[in-house]
Formats: sequence, C-alpha cells, structure tokens
Amino acid sequence: MTVQFNLNGRRIALDVDPDRRAVDILREELGLTGTKEGCGAGECGACTILVDGVNRLSCLMLAAQLSGREITTIEGLSREGGTHPLPEAFVKHGAVQCGFCTPGMILGAAALLQENPAPTRDEIRRGISGNLCRCTGYQKIVDAVAEAARAIQEGEPSS
Amino acid sequence: MRKVFLPRDMAELWSAMADEPAARVYAGGTDLLVAMRAGTVVAPALICLERLAELQGVREEGEEIWLGAATTHAALLSNPLVGRHLPLLVQALRTLGSPPIRNMGTIGGNICTASPAGDTLPPLYVLAAEVELQSPGGRRRLPLRDFIAGPGQTRLETGEILTGVRVRKPVDANCHRFEKIGQRQALACCIVSMAALLTVTPAGVVASIRLAWGSVGPTVMEAPAAEAALTGSFMTRENLHRAAVFVRQAVAPIDDIRASAAYRREVAGNLLLRLLPG
Amino acid sequence: MTTRPPKIGRDFLRPDAPAKAAGVEKYAVDHYGENLLWAGVRRAGVPHGLIRRVDAAAARSLPGVRAVLTGGDVPGTNRQGIVHKDQPVLCDAKVRYAGDPVALVLAADRETLRRALALIEVDIAPLPGVFTIDDALNHDAPRLHEDHPGGNALLQATIEAGDGAKALAECDVVVTETFTVPIQAHAFLETENGIARREEDGRIVIIVSTQAPFRDRWEVSHALGLPMDGIRVIAPYLGGGFGGKDGATVQCLLALAAMHADGRWVKMWWDREESFQAGYKRHAARLHYHLGAKADGTLHALHCRVYYDTGAYAHLGGEVMALGMEHAGGPYRIPHTRIEGWCLYTNNPVAGAMRGFGVMQVSFAFESMMDILAARLRLDPLEIRRKNALRVGDRNSAGVLMTSSTGIGACLDAIADHPLWKDRAVWKAAAGPNKRRGVGLAAVFNAMGYGRGLPDTAVAKLEITPTGRFVVYSGVADMGQGNATAFVQIAGAALNQEEGMIDLVQPDTDRTLPSGSAAASRTTYTYGNALIRACQDMRRRILGRASMLLLVDRLEDLGLLPGRVRHPATGREIPLAMLAATLTTPERFCVYQYLMPVVPDPPATGKAFKIGFPHLLFSYGCHLALVEADELTGETTVRDYLAVTEAGRILNPQTSVQQVQGAIAQGIGYALHEDLQVEGGIVQTDDLGKYIIPTALDLPDIRAVFAQAYEETGPFGMKGLGEVASNGPLPAIANALADAGAARIFRSPLTPERVLASLQQGPGM
Ligand SMILES: Cc1cc2nc3c(=O)[nH]c(=O)nc-3n(C[C@H](O)[C@H](O)[C@H](O)COP(=O)(O)OP(=O)(O)OC[C@H]3O[C@@H](n4cnc5c(N)ncnc54)[C@H](O)[C@@H]3O)c2cc1C
Ligand code: FES
Ligand code: FES
Repeated sequence: MTVQFNLNGRRIALDVDPDRRAVDILREELGLTGTKEGCGAGECGACTILVDGVNRLSCLMLAAQLSGREITTIEGLSREGGTHPLPEAFVKHGAVQCGFCTPGMILGAAALLQENPAPTRDEIRRGISGNLCRCTGYQKIVDAVAEAARAIQEGEPSS
Repeated sequence: MRKVFLPRDMAELWSAMADEPAARVYAGGTDLLVAMRAGTVVAPALICLERLAELQGVREEGEEIWLGAATTHAALLSNPLVGRHLPLLVQALRTLGSPPIRNMGTIGGNICTASPAGDTLPPLYVLAAEVELQSPGGRRRLPLRDFIAGPGQTRLETGEILTGVRVRKPVDANCHRFEKIGQRQALACCIVSMAALLTVTPAGVVASIRLAWGSVGPTVMEAPAAEAALTGSFMTRENLHRAAVFVRQAVAPIDDIRASAAYRREVAGNLLLRLLPG
Repeated sequence: MTTRPPKIGRDFLRPDAPAKAAGVEKYAVDHYGENLLWAGVRRAGVPHGLIRRVDAAAARSLPGVRAVLTGGDVPGTNRQGIVHKDQPVLCDAKVRYAGDPVALVLAADRETLRRALALIEVDIAPLPGVFTIDDALNHDAPRLHEDHPGGNALLQATIEAGDGAKALAECDVVVTETFTVPIQAHAFLETENGIARREEDGRIVIIVSTQAPFRDRWEVSHALGLPMDGIRVIAPYLGGGFGGKDGATVQCLLALAAMHADGRWVKMWWDREESFQAGYKRHAARLHYHLGAKADGTLHALHCRVYYDTGAYAHLGGEVMALGMEHAGGPYRIPHTRIEGWCLYTNNPVAGAMRGFGVMQVSFAFESMMDILAARLRLDPLEIRRKNALRVGDRNSAGVLMTSSTGIGACLDAIADHPLWKDRAVWKAAAGPNKRRGVGLAAVFNAMGYGRGLPDTAVAKLEITPTGRFVVYSGVADMGQGNATAFVQIAGAALNQEEGMIDLVQPDTDRTLPSGSAAASRTTYTYGNALIRACQDMRRRILGRASMLLLVDRLEDLGLLPGRVRHPATGREIPLAMLAATLTTPERFCVYQYLMPVVPDPPATGKAFKIGFPHLLFSYGCHLALVEADELTGETTVRDYLAVTEAGRILNPQTSVQQVQGAIAQGIGYALHEDLQVEGGIVQTDDLGKYIIPTALDLPDIRAVFAQAYEETGPFGMKGLGEVASNGPLPAIANALADAGAARIFRSPLTPERVLASLQQGPGM
C-alpha cells in the first residue's frame, strides 16, 4: 500500500505494509532512528512523534494511520521554521543523561508548550508524565522545559 | 500482512466490515494494538475508526450530552461542554494513562474494552450513561450497565459498532468526586477507584447520592445499601464510616500483582471519607 | 560551546548532549545494515528441568529462516560468566531459569523470527524448583549446579572484626530485626541489543549496548572458542546501563549468529518483556540484624546474617554480596562485628550488578536499625549517627582502617544545619486532613573500585592529530553517567585546550585500550587518573617539540595555550597545527596505564572472597526525606528531599547533580514501587505497566548539595559518585514513615498496602 504523508515538512509517499508499526517505518524504512522504542506498548513514551502537532506514540500506530498526516520526528522539530528552543535548553540544563528518552521527551514537551505556553512546574511534570526517564529523576528536564517556555514567550511579541 | 482500513464515512465503514467480517475495529489502538502485540487478540484485518466524523465530538442535546465514541480523552478534556456539565468525567479522564495515551485513546475504546479498571466507567455508571450502537441494520440504545456484560465483555453484536455515549446533565448534583488509587501518579492502572455524585443541602444533609467503584469486582461495583444509608443523613465522619461498612460488603475484589483483595476492599470503603468537606 | 578551556569545578555542559537531543546520536540499537538478519532466542519457559528434545524442524522449514541453532551447535566451552564460567550460551542439557536460552534463530525479518521461535518445540523434563532463600538453604533441595562444591550456596563468607558477635553481651541494649528486599530491575530504556557480522577476514565485529566491551571480547572468545583478536567489540553510548549491561547479554549469541550468517549483519534486540525475563537483576535479600550499643548510644557490636538470592548463575553474585557485607555496618565505627553471608543459587532470574551493588540492600537494614536503636535509647536520630560516624583513623565495620577522605561527618553536619531538618516539627504539624507526615534520615556510603584481588586499572590513550586537534580514546563505556564528559573536561583542563579541539572516541576494542568496566563508581576516577598522566606526557611532548622549533632550551619557559605554544618572554608562538605536522605517528600518541591503590594491609577476615574485598575509598551521603502518608489509602508521597554527598572534589557540578538526582530517583522507585515479582520462577511483572518505575509526577524536586572534600589520590581530587546516592532513599523513607507514626516496615517496597496496614497498627519500636 502507498502511504502519503508529510514528514518533517516534506511530502513523501512510501510503499509499505499498512499494518507495520509507524515506529518501524520511521526507523527502518526512513532511517530516522531518533524515534526510539523502549517498550512497544505505550508505557514509556520513547517513540513519541507529533501527529498534526499532537504527541502520539508511534509504537501504537500503524503505517496506514500516517496517511495524510503531518508527522514531526525529533529530526524535524522546529518552531516557525527556525530552531526549537527545547533541545538547546535540554543541553544547557543537563536534562540529557543517557539520552534515550530525550527525543520523545522533547517532542512531548514541545506539544505541551504548544498547548500551554506558560506551564507551571507541576503542569510540566503532568505534561511529560507519559515519558519515562530512568536516568535523570526529571528535575533537570522540568528546568529545561521551563526555560524553553520562557525563551518562547520572550521571543514572541507580547499580545 | 493484514489489511488496514481507514474509512472516512459510515458507508466506507460498513463496506469494509462487509468485506472483512472478521476484522477488528479500533479507534486509538491503545488497548487493541497492545493486546495484539501480546498475542491475546488475533485479527486478520483491522478497521481504524479515527477518521469517522460521525463518531467524533461532543454535543448538547436538550437535557443530554452526547459524546462521540471515537473522541479522544484529550479532546473530551478540552471540551467546554464536558468541562461545564461533567466534572466527574473530567476528574476521571485526568487520571487516565498519560498525555499521549489520552491523545490517542477514546471513550468508546475504554467502554468496549470493558475492563473493571476502565477509568471512565465508574463516572459513566453514576451518570446513568446510555450507549448508542449502530450497524447497517439500524441503531439501538442501551444503558451502559446492561451493555457491559463482564470483565472484557460487552453486548456488542457482530457487525455493530459503538457510535456514542449519552448522559443526562447532572443538574442537581453539587458534589462531583472521582478518586483513584494506582501504583503511581501517572500511567497507573487503577487499583481501586470511586465515582460519587451527590446533592448536599446547605445544611449538610445528603439529598441524593450515586456511587460506583472501579477495580473491585468483575465490572463496576455499586453499593445501594451505602447510598441508602447516606441518603437523608449528614455528611459526617461517623456516617461515612458507617456507610463504608456496606461498601466493603458490596464489593468483590480479587488479589493480583498490584494489590490484595483485602486492601481493595478496605480502601473502597475508606474512599468515602474523602467526601468529607475540607 | 565554550570557547575557553574547561575549568575543573565549574559546570561543563555534556558534549554528548547536543547529538542526543537532536536525535542523531547512534546507539547500538540504531545500527541496522543492508540485508540484515534478525536473531532471537527461544527461552526455556520453565524454571528448572532437563532438556529432552528441542525440535526445530518446523521452524527451519519456515521460509525466511536462515538457521536454528541449539546447544550442540555452540563451539568452544559454551559457557560464559565473569567470575565462574557456569552460564551456557545455549543450554545443552539443563535449564536453570525460565529465561535460559535453548535455541537461537536467524531469520530474514522480525515477523518470521517471531513465528519461527513459536514453532520450536521444546521438551523439558521438569525438576523441582528452588525459588526462595529458604528453599536454597534446605540441604535436600535439588542442586542447580551439581559440580559446585558449595551446593546451592554460590558463596558463603564471613567478615569478622574485634571480638565479633561475642561483644553483643557487653552491650547495654541490643536490637534485633529482619529485613526483606525484593528484586529490582534496571529498566534502562534501551533494552539489551546489538548487531554483529563476520568480516571477510573472518573476524567478528559486534556493536553492542555494553558496559564492558573488553571483557565481552574475552567472554565471546572463551564461550565460542574464537581467538581474542578475532573479535572486535564496539560500544556506542548506551541508552542506560546501571549495571545491567555489565556482563554478557546478547554478545555471545550474536557472535554465534554471525558465524552462521555468511557475512550478513545480524541484529538482536530484546523486547521489554524479554529484558524483564532474561536480563540481569538486583538481588532480592533477607537480612537478619543484631545491633548493640552502650547506653549513651555508642555502637559496640553488630552481628548480621545476610542472604542474597543470586538466581540461576553466578554472574557477579558473590562480588555483589561481598560488597554488601563490607557495607553491612554502615558508615560507622563499630568495634566488634560478625557479618555472615550466603549467596544462593535459585531458579529465579540471574542477579548481578546494579548501581548500589549489594549495598542498597544492607542500607535499608542498617539505617533502619540506627533509628530503631535511637528510639530505644531516646536519642536524636541525627545525634546517634554523628556520634558514631567514621572518621579518618577509624576502622570500619569490616575492620579496614580509614586513611583517605571520610566525609560522612560533614554530610551529617550539613543536614543538621539545614532548615528542612531544623524546621521539621513545623512541617510535620502542617499535615492536612487524613494525612500524616514524617521526616527520615539515612547515612550511607559506597565503595569505589573493584577492591583487592582484581586490579582496577585503565589505559588512557591520547592523540594529537596532524592538524593539531586532540583525540581521547576512551576505553570505558558511557552509559549515560557522563564519564565521556569528564574525560573531555579533564583533557581540556590538563592540556589547556578548548572543548571544541578535543574529540572523543567511544570504546572500541580495536582503537581504544582496555580500561575495565563502566561500574563500581570507578570510571572517572580510574580512567581520569590515567588520562591526566597521558595529558602530562602529551604536554611535555608538545613543549619538547616546540622547544626545538622555537629554539627555547627550557620547557618551563614555554606555555601550552589553546591551539598554540607560546614563549611568553619573546611573545613568539607556534600553532599546534603547525607543530603537530612535524610529529611522526608514534610521537603523536601518549598512552598511560593507571592502577588504583588498594588497602595495603587488609584485615585477616573475609577470606572467602577471592576478589573484591576490601576497598580503600568510599563516597558518603546523608539523606533527608520529608514524607506524607495517606491514612485512608496508605499512599506515600515524598514531599521534599535533601541529599548531601561527599565524593571528594566536585569536578562538574552539573553532571554530579545529575548522578545524585538520578540515583535518588531510582532509589525512590526501589523504596516505594519497584518489585520484580517472580512466581514459581516466572516473572509476573514483565512490562513497564506492571513493573512500576517513577514518572515525573512521582518524584519531588531533589536538593542535591555536596560536602566539599579532596581525595588525594583522585583525578583533581574527585571520587566516584555514581552509586552512593542510590542507597539513601529506602531507609530514609522507611524512617520517615516510622516518624509519621506508622509501625515500622521491614519489607520493601513500601507499598500503599503495607503502609496502610502499618499506619493502622500505629507506632511501635
Ligand atoms: C500505557 C497505557 C496506559 C493506560 N492507562 C489507562 C488508564 O489509566 N485507565 C484506563 O481506563 N485505561 C488505560 N489504558 C487503556 C486504554 O488506553 C483505554 O482503555 C482507552 O480508552 C482505549 O481507547 P482506544 O480508542 O485506544 O481503544 P482501542 O484499542 O482502539 O479499542 C479497544 C477495544 O474497543 C473496541 N472498540 C474501540 N472503539 C470501538 C467502537 N467505536 N465500536 C466498537 N468497538 C470499539 C476495539 O475493537 C477494542 O476491542 C491504558 C493503555 C495504555 C497502553
Ligand atoms: S515504545 Fe512506544 S511507548 Fe514505549
Ligand atoms: S536520560 Fe536516560 S532515560 Fe532519560
């Protein structure tokens, strides 16, 4: 089956089995290994991608469901065409240790900031609560997301 | 390789179902695809309901609210009608899974999975929800408590799907309370939950009360004796303790890896105390 | 990117973070390869039995199946194991736990692999199982390893100091309790995996998520009868390790698969369930304690018996228990001790290394005992700890003289001065309805390095490239703990070069040099010490060449500056790029081997430990947990958490805080949630929905502070701090719950169910 969708801003058409998992399509067919798999069952969030801007789990999505969607993976994360402040904030705040949760965590946080541009620390914790991290204890991740939120707000003309 | 259908309207849905009578439908896939991975469900073909506009959204219809079966938990949470009229459901949805799970999972999926731990079920029970079912042959409506037949079992018939859920606005209720105990604060399968809908007079007397519990029996459990004991009485610690005894008699929990039956029973009663104001 | 050379003692951003955050870092699991084959293992599924037959005919005939291998197909010894070679690559006669591999399949794709694995018929005649510590202690129990002289005791050992247990009779008060801790799983996000291929020259290349690439090469060589130089192991950054990738997981299986793949790449990637079923674990343990003190709270005698369930194979079990026993008395001065240990084979999953290696278990016991004792003597729990805290010149409870930095006292002092401690009564009194609050302490320590008998050594290799850049060849894997960052920082500081001029090569047995495992809080210490000296050699070599080029006849007159050498007296400079171009290849490399110092005169005890006892260097910590429990449900929430750590000089505050916060997060998981349940040898909690690790909503902000100290032998004065903080949370939280008025809990995790029962039971001793 041919599946057409937008991937990181580019239109693509792929001939794939419709029942393959989206995570496998991204990693194996498209070489986008920034999308990780930690459980295959919705429990860890490592496979998070943005589907029409919303964070979803690519291990629980089939190839057919990609059709017609706007898919963003960590490799394509940007903000209004420019770089997104989240990765840099993660680096600066020491939110990356082994880094295996990081792509999914950043995409989850990006979706959160889209919905709630000025989250409290508790709201950040809630927002990333579907992304498990075994290394950091989350605190520096929360710091990083808070800083990225500030950066976005400051970068934007006040309304 | 399996076929995967992505119907865009009901006609495409019925034709896909006719082509592949053994196909499984799914919406968010957060139950079905997990079960297929584990090998507990085998499906020769799949029909994804995510693009059916007919199954989406929330509508106010007179005294009732209609919730589309394929509406995601996140969409319900951000819906103003749900926020205004169904705070009990909102509280439950906020505890369900995690943000991405709520972005994918649907209320229809939660109902059709019919898990005793399904978090929307106790609220929908106390809200006396009705399900709307449709097949090429027609539509029918059924009280939710009749639709759920047992753990993992519903009265959905072959060729039929769930299109929506209907609840009456709980206009008189002035206390909406959902309490859930899990093993952690997110991504937590319910160990025991309680949904409560009350009307309390300004003097503190319970005028009416509806209660339901999750994860303490094969399906959602109710305790009419506890409701009766509380109706007409003051919301005091003593009265709630007294009613809790009836709750512990009414529930039928089991032991599993998450908790013992004894703990579930105990806490099912204790959760009543959370209703105390302050 | 910083533009000035890194400074020791200042935050230094991790050079590995940008690529990881951009999703472009390639972990082992991100390697595929043209025409890839997938390999997978059929596991026994029964915990104990004799293999009657493995019938792979149906699997072999499935289209797309390349090979099915069983025990008879393994060349070499078919045995792996770090200390004892007792673990088959593929079982040939007997299976000893449900995760034991009985057949290996190579298939063209994952779906075919899955179907082929299911088609293999395994007929195993079951043997009675040994599932508990008591089963294993029973002399009539079936033996897992018939040829092991100790029966089901992998190791039985005793540490004795002073007058041993006899001294309990001299105590004014003796408290006696038994503690039980469950199995913990590492639950790293990148499950065990790798990819391997046989090259045209016959060598086997393995890219694998591993903590010990050089040891892997030796394991594969031994198990499969291959020459060591016929194996190359490459260890990219790991998606978490925590000890669970210290030892062979997929390595031998992959090499074996590669021998049957005709030069194609073969990939093996355990799924989450397989990782829970077959991966290594933290030991469950039972700990019996008698602790005796004088009436004024001076500790006098300790007698304990500890039992560690090591599962089906030896792995590092004996060494884990040894370290637990060495720490069984806490960071205290106890003149008379007798510590007995049994490390027991069972038909449970294989237990091995995990952060806090053996020490997390005993920390629960000794720190609970300290509070119990304090309550009995009506002493303040902080004061009783201060009174007995180890100082330089004391002997610890294993009888080892403390000669180097011993900062537990400073950690305790920092707690005493902290508002969270001083104002605890106010905080406790502010508990809301149906809530109880308590505050708990734990003083902990953790040894660094392998200990006596096993040389803890690293070989640093440093290059200046012909263009004047530097390359650090790291021989120790970075599983996320940040040693690679430390190496760049150390090299940058030692060579006075900007970070951007330093490249780092991750472990590769062909390119880097043997430097031991990423374990035992040793990586930065041991490799860092080697690296500093390699940098010193490099500096001399560069200045030496500059002296020739600039005609300066004393090295002291030259300065190594970022990108250049300068002669300050004349202002003349030579760029490193120009200088390096004049060096021959051998001159461009500096190699230095460092060997960690050991206890010079070990006490005459613990003779059963061939390796790993005793240790010279320890890091210390004191933790304070502010905990709230719900009287209706027993749910326990950690509201605030303070950890004071002494680990010598802090080279990089940011990565040090990372280690402390991460260790505490795992420790809080261990305290409250984590419990790998095994029933009849079968893992019940085999996914991340059943095995519960904390989410962002389950952890408080953690205040991590450091008691500054200086370890004379450490690189720039540091000691390892990867593990010490994991030991605090369980005892601190258990002590806080007791302080909140709950009956003391002796079995972890502290689940709502246990806490509710103990709240209802009320305060006790
Ligand atoms: C990590 C994780 C955490 C979770 N946490 C929770 C939790 O906290 N609480 C909770 O209650 N649940 C939880 N779940 C379960 C699940 O997310 C919910 O039950 C969700 O609501 C299911 O919706 P879905 O659309 O994804 O269902 P699907 O998987 O799409 O479908 C589930 C079942 O319903 C049937 N079905 C779906 N829609 C229809 C329809 N319209 N008509 C007929 N049949 C239909 C399918 O055939 C299938 O049998 C969790 C799941 C995961 C993976
Ligand atoms: S891999 Fe998708 S949630 Fe874990
Ligand atoms: S940084 Fe390792 S899992 Fe998050």
